[in-house]
Amino acid sequence: MNGPLIVQSDKTLLLEVDHERADECRRAIAPFAELERAPEHIHTYRLTPLGLWNARAAGHDAEQVVDALVEYSRYPVPHALLVDIAETMDRYGRLTLTKHPAHGLVLTTTDRPVLEEVLKSRRITPLVGARIDPDSVVVHPSERGQIKQTLLKLGWPAEDLAGYVDGEAHPIELRQDGWALRPYQKQAVENFWHGGSGVVVLPCGAGKTLVGAGSMAQAKSTTLILVTNTVSARQWKHELVKRTSLTEDEIGEYSGTRKEIRPVTIATYQVLTTRRKGVYPHLELFDSRDWGLIVYDEVHLLPAPVFKFTADLQARRRLGLTATLVREDGRESDVFSLIGPKRFDAPWKEIEAQGYIAPADCVEVRVNLTDSERLAYATAETEEKYRFCATTATKRRVTEAIVRRFAGQQILVIGQYIDQLDELGEHLGAPVIKGETSNAQREKLFDAFREGEISVLVVSKVANFSIDLPEATVAVQVSGTFGSRQEEAQRLGRVLRPKADGHQAHFYSVVARDTIDQDFAAHRQRFLAEQGYSYRIVDADEILAEGTG
Amino acid sequence: MSPEANPAPRSLAESLRMRDDASLAALLRSRPDLITPVPTDLTQLATRAGTRASVLRALERLDRFALQTAEALAVAPDPASYGTLLGLMAGDAGDAAVAAALPRAVAVLREQALVWGDDDRLRLVRTAQELLAPSAQHPSPTGLGPSVQEATSGMSPGRIQEIVARAGLPSTHDSVSAVTALTALFTDRRKMAKLLAQAPDASLEVLSRLVWGPPYGQVTPDPAAHLRWLLDRGLLLPTAPGTVVLPREVALHLREGRAHRAPEPRPPALEPVATHGAQVVDATAAGQAYTAVATVEELLKEWDEGGPAVLRAGGLSVRDLKRTAVVLDVSEPVAAFWIELAYAAGLLASDGEADERYAATPAHDDWLEQPPAERWARLAQAWLRATRTPGLIGGRDAKDRTLSALGPGLDRSAAPEVRHRVLTLLAGLPAGAAPAAEPVLARLRWERPLRGPRPDDAEDPRSRLARWTLAEAELLGITGRGALSGHGRALLGAGAAEQTAAAAEDRGPGDKLPVHHRAAAPAEPLTAAEQAVATGAAARLLAPLLPEPLDHVLLQADLTAVAPGPLRRPLAEALGVLADVESKGGATVYRFTPASVRRALDAGRTATDLHAFLAAHSRTPVPQPLAYLIDDVARRHGHLRVGAASAYVRCDDDALLNEILADKRSAALRLRRLAPTVLATQADPATLLEGLRAMGYAPAAESAEGDVLIARAHAHRTPPRGAPEPVPDGPPPPDATLLSAAIRAIRAGDLAATAPRKATGAAPAPGELPRTGSAETLATVQAAVLTGEALWIGYVNAEGSASQRVIAPIRVEGGFVTAYDHTADEVRTYPLHRITGVAELEE
Repeated sequence: MNGPLIVQSDKTLLLEVDHERADECRRAIAPFAELERAPEHIHTYRLTPLGLWNARAAGHDAEQVVDALVEYSRYPVPHALLVDIAETMDRYGRLTLTKHPAHGLVLTTTDRPVLEEVLKSRRITPLVGARIDPDSVVVHPSERGQIKQTLLKLGWPAEDLAGYVDGEAHPIELRQDGWALRPYQKQAVENFWHGGSGVVVLPCGAGKTLVGAGSMAQAKSTTLILVTNTVSARQWKHELVKRTSLTEDEIGEYSGTRKEIRPVTIATYQVLTTRRKGVYPHLELFDSRDWGLIVYDEVHLLPAPVFKFTADLQARRRLGLTATLVREDGRESDVFSLIGPKRFDAPWKEIEAQGYIAPADCVEVRVNLTDSERLAYATAETEEKYRFCATTATKRRVTEAIVRRFAGQQILVIGQYIDQLDELGEHLGAPVIKGETSNAQREKLFDAFREGEISVLVVSKVANFSIDLPEATVAVQVSGTFGSRQEEAQRLGRVLRPKADGHQAHFYSVVARDTIDQDFAAHRQRFLAEQGYSYRIVDADEILAEGTG
Repeated sequence: MSPEANPAPRSLAESLRMRDDASLAALLRSRPDLITPVPTDLTQLATRAGTRASVLRALERLDRFALQTAEALAVAPDPASYGTLLGLMAGDAGDAAVAAALPRAVAVLREQALVWGDDDRLRLVRTAQELLAPSAQHPSPTGLGPSVQEATSGMSPGRIQEIVARAGLPSTHDSVSAVTALTALFTDRRKMAKLLAQAPDASLEVLSRLVWGPPYGQVTPDPAAHLRWLLDRGLLLPTAPGTVVLPREVALHLREGRAHRAPEPRPPALEPVATHGAQVVDATAAGQAYTAVATVEELLKEWDEGGPAVLRAGGLSVRDLKRTAVVLDVSEPVAAFWIELAYAAGLLASDGEADERYAATPAHDDWLEQPPAERWARLAQAWLRATRTPGLIGGRDAKDRTLSALGPGLDRSAAPEVRHRVLTLLAGLPAGAAPAAEPVLARLRWERPLRGPRPDDAEDPRSRLARWTLAEAELLGITGRGALSGHGRALLGAGAAEQTAAAAEDRGPGDKLPVHHRAAAPAEPLTAAEQAVATGAAARLLAPLLPEPLDHVLLQADLTAVAPGPLRRPLAEALGVLADVESKGGATVYRFTPASVRRALDAGRTATDLHAFLAAHSRTPVPQPLAYLIDDVARRHGHLRVGAASAYVRCDDDALLNEILADKRSAALRLRRLAPTVLATQADPATLLEGLRAMGYAPAAESAEGDVLIARAHAHRTPPRGAPEPVPDGPPPPDATLLSAAIRAIRAGDLAATAPRKATGAAPAPGELPRTGSAETLATVQAAVLTGEALWIGYVNAEGSASQRVIAPIRVEGGFVTAYDHTADEVRTYPLHRITGVAELEE
């Protein structure tokens, strides 16, 4: 009874990291427990029905879960919790969706009362057809996604064994010249391919694009890639041309500006969810080719309408890529039922330990508002308050000091407010990338930054997602979208790419003291700390003193 | 009970008289109702033992096999020999298990004075016989019907003769000997077999339907051939028009002599479904025991500053129960259990104030000081002995009122006995063995079967109690993973420990009999003193298993502190102020927030204190963000100061204020300098003004907005008030209509009272009703109709009240007088028989 694990009554698991058996314990519980927080001493995992079902989908059974808990637990595990785990896991797989040679898609059960129970549900009735025998019922093929979603809501997740259509074949090979898939990327591709469909969770900068490319090389079929925005689409195209046998002509871009449909097509969420006169005109993209694989980049941002389309695509292989399964809208269960269970997961710290992403030094700089700013802040309207404190003039001076301090390194200054960014750009003598900057101009600037021609770049939130800035070693965040944790993760990701010279990465957040800016920062930093990135808080005076000294 | 030494007893009293003291003591122990009050002699004891209530109580406490034995005796001839009884129980073929168990069952029945007489002449006491014998209203659990003799008692001799003849017996004219012959035939297996061999298949089919009961069937007035065949031979006997019964002897023949379809000589085996290591069980139970103590502690802490209100009908409202469940992070039934447990342990009670609330008792404070094992022991002991059953909470009582936690109607007197019995059963299993709930319940039902039918859906009360016992024992950490823990075993006392050891040895193959009743006596719940000793022993066993309280936490950069186990109380309390609890269980996760740090500062800690406290109790370095947080909050803490003052002095010239402060005369005003130009005082503005004026200054008063108040002597005014309403002396003056009506009434009354009457012979005294005979009344009235005169009459109305009236009769017919009534000023009709008398008015 001296294990590294403590099982709490609220179904969280506390893992003492410094314990000698912590590593084996972590490996034992990782398949079924979601890592929630990973600060320096005690990691928190959580047992959820989705997590347990993920484990079932990956072939683990309740016995293993219970054994792992009992084996590593420091204190006796409450009996009720063990019973609950067994019961929850037992619910998965009682129902399976399979392909019947004569009847097509059928829902079968190993436990007749369960089938009776779900068939009584008013939400299931319209999705099913005739009862073939006491244990199976026909499902309308178009309702494959819908029924999975509904069954999950009823607490009886169905295992989808109905297989996939191969789609139109298209030769795709990885061109591994001078580089190779990292072991964890290979593992992720393998797990995904073996599971059929599902989600791969990798931290920013860990090379999710390559996991996508690897999967495409496995599928060797036409592929639809859904990404968040146009820049990201270009990045994908660039990366695919560079890493695979695909040529520019084989890859189409389907966005607001271009509407190309090629064997590999990259579409943005935005264009798919454009609505004209109550209909989604670009939906036929899904049917325009016989896609063999659909890749969802940044699954945690997947807009709600895309879920609806995805429900109709259950016969195609689906790969979800994300840094976090946490959705601020709480639709994790839809990801589970429509895209698939989690197939691979590696926490940041672990990949950092393997040297694939750079360790970062996170610092919060607290600046004081001047007296007049304080007065202005106090009298500002509620919706203006954040803007007032986030754009204080003191921040500019601190930012300048930081930039001076890291002169010669690649520095990104990230902010929310255009005025502030323009002013910063002027003072720092750096170009500003914002919403109105054309895509061509953006790519030009990014290239220049990559090449080291410019060392400081000021970017607005347009740069949040999917751009690749390999050589940034310092990021300075001057304002953000309130307290978004995803944004923090993405911005931190900007500086976490491995550095050529092994420089330590620095992540600075400049925050106005005693304002809501500080509250938002606290929220974001909590996320950082929970990811294991210890951060320091320093006063602006220290930075300014250094800068002048 | 040594029949060979004495002549056979002739009555229950005699048999009791032959018993030795130990045997009588055993009887009185198992039937304590017999000595309340203490009977004067054995005859009285025997009488009392034969009363219906007492016998019923004794029968209800028999185990299933003893009850089955008694039921068999009730259908056996009286008296019955042991051999006969064995035949009934084991059947013609015999049954080793029954044969082995029967002596014990008979001994139990004898001990309980339900059966007396030696083995040749076993007699069931008459009341028991009546209770258990089959009748049309109360079918016996044996499913047997009345005997031939009983069934034929009302039958005509001719019919009996016919049956005897048909059954192939020599005819006899005597009905009694005919019935005897028929009985003899039915009980003779060989002859019976021969008789039945001739029966048509359909008839046998009918018999097989009735054989295991109920033995009654319906027939039409003109029965079919196969039924007629049976009826003719007495194999079915009519009981009422249209109803037939299978006589007991025939049924017994068909059953091969067995009174019960399934005799249950052995209690259902209690096979464990899982066996865990004793260490795992003890550890799990100890963990849960710790949780139990911690949960009760948390509950009472939550109610520390005034618990929820007591409902008027007593108990806790559903809303308060829900809220408590949320706070404790458990389901409502479990929360109800903890609340009831704290109540049963005397840690929680109603404060009895006018605005009645629940609160911790002084005993709770003592309890908190005890070591965890002792605290648990107190809870466990309270649970074992409590008759309150939290499982009922949320259900409804007989009057359909909801049963609330801590409310009335939760006591079930059987609860302690059932709890003890369930734990004893668990103790009978090898260490670490966990049985499923169902076999335990089945065993309890065998030990105390319920007589009479029950609605199928409702579980019997003992089974419900047992089910709750199993769940609650797990919650309390008496069992772990469903198996009785070491400390749980100790709770049952030393006697139980020995007995369970013995029972475990007894459990050899083929011998799963319960120990003899006398040996089972220690299975009764312990007395209070014994229980205290046993609980102490349990606490000693538990103590080393409980986690040792820690004196350190792990601090992390995400502003949490994790206590990897229970904390020492002072540390836990201090940390509880400085941080919010985020997750509970084996460990506790605390989170530091600006608000929680401020709470600590408010509680009088300083930033330095807090740094020192964290450094002292953290096993890891204090993370920089946490230290920064404390300093940051401390920096702002107390920056703004709030106080109360009732008046102030303001002056732009601080020299003047210095002067005032320095002046001795201002001491009484207790002025305090808030700022260079402001003084504050607790004195009211008027006093301050007076004081300053007395010192020779010329202060001006300020309004709340800062304006100078112009002090002018202004008259004192009330808030808006209306003028008082006049209070007139007497009622308002009447109007004309009212007046005229009143006058008319007064006049009429006056006329009736004062009209001078003709002096008749029997003139009534003034004020008395006139009295005349009915003939005279009729004559006078008829005369008055003719003359149109007014008459003075006495009249008694339907309510019986008398009055005097002056009427002018108009007509007389049908016993009624229609007349103009001067008193009422209208035409009315009076029944003649209600007129007491008439008198003519004087002219």
